[in-house]
Amino acid sequence: MFKELDPILHSQLRLAVMSLLISVKEAEFTFIKEKTNATAGNLSVQIQKLKEAGYIEVIKEFKDNYPNTTCKITTQGVSAFEEYVKALQQYLNIGQQ
Amino acid sequence: MPEEKEFNSEESLQLITSMINKVKSSYHDSGTGALLWGSAVSISAFITYLEVEYDFYIGFDIWLIVLAAIIPQIVISVRENKRKQFKSHDDLALDAIWITYAITIFGLIAYQNIVPGATQDLNKQEGWSLIKHYLDKSHPDEAIAPFPLSITSIFILIYAFPTLITGIIKKFRPMIVGAIITYALFVASCFTSFKYDMIFSGIAALVCWFIPGLILRKRYLQLAKQKEQNV
Repeated sequence: MFKELDPILHSQLRLAVMSLLISVKEAEFTFIKEKTNATAGNLSVQIQKLKEAGYIEVIKEFKDNYPNTTCKITTQGVSAFEEYVKALQQYLNIGQQ
Repeated sequence: MPEEKEFNSEESLQLITSMINKVKSSYHDSGTGALLWGSAVSISAFITYLEVEYDFYIGFDIWLIVLAAIIPQIVISVRENKRKQFKSHDDLALDAIWITYAITIFGLIAYQNIVPGATQDLNKQEGWSLIKHYLDKSHPDEAIAPFPLSITSIFILIYAFPTLITGIIKKFRPMIVGAIITYALFVASCFTSFKYDMIFSGIAALVCWFIPGLILRKRYLQLAKQKEQNV
């Protein structure tokens, strides 16, 4: 039985954000934007979707008198990401047979 | 990167791998901390050796520069942390290791300064003292204060441990090599007098921190230059 791919993660930009966040403890919005080559507007929308799904935590604070957004993957996000990768591997194994 | 694009399982895995690699290649230590500690400890150790070898005193305890180096180190750490756009899991582990190392070193300095006096007091309470006895009877016996034997060897041993862990976690060969050399210096220092232990300490600081610091600094400046050119 195929596991269904999580629709929240099966989007290029959201998956890129989650892949970045799974490798770090936390990352600033500017860093994510630079690494994903996304526009600020598009990235904000996708981050909001991930936040609503409970996959990431968004911390807004001031750094050197400027607003600064930091994102952090949640435990729920880690589980969802692991499940997504497992499902992908299943698809790939079937494809190779 | 477009918001929604149809992509297959293979492309998904490629994307995950490429993002993880992008994070890995984003970590660049400026090497400032390593250079600072490498210089402070090696200068102090080599000057102590010269003081003992040529019997002179520079007028103050040279090891105070190591204590003084804590202030710029704090400033550098705060600045670098502010500049960092992300925190890795490795950073947290390494911070914990280096804090533990600093506490251990200060604990050992305290031990070195407190234990001899405390031991002498305890010995007095028990009614005995240590005596220096010349086997050839060329000098009369004399009372001496207790002292920790070859404590510099222990310092050298401790220099190697956070360096080796950092080298292994960061896959940074110069630190791994530096730590291995330092373990060899520790073994050698067990058989030599204080004067030579100081030379070994200086070499340990150079190979553990100063040389890796120079390499890190060079890489950091090269990358900064590349980034500037790309903008």
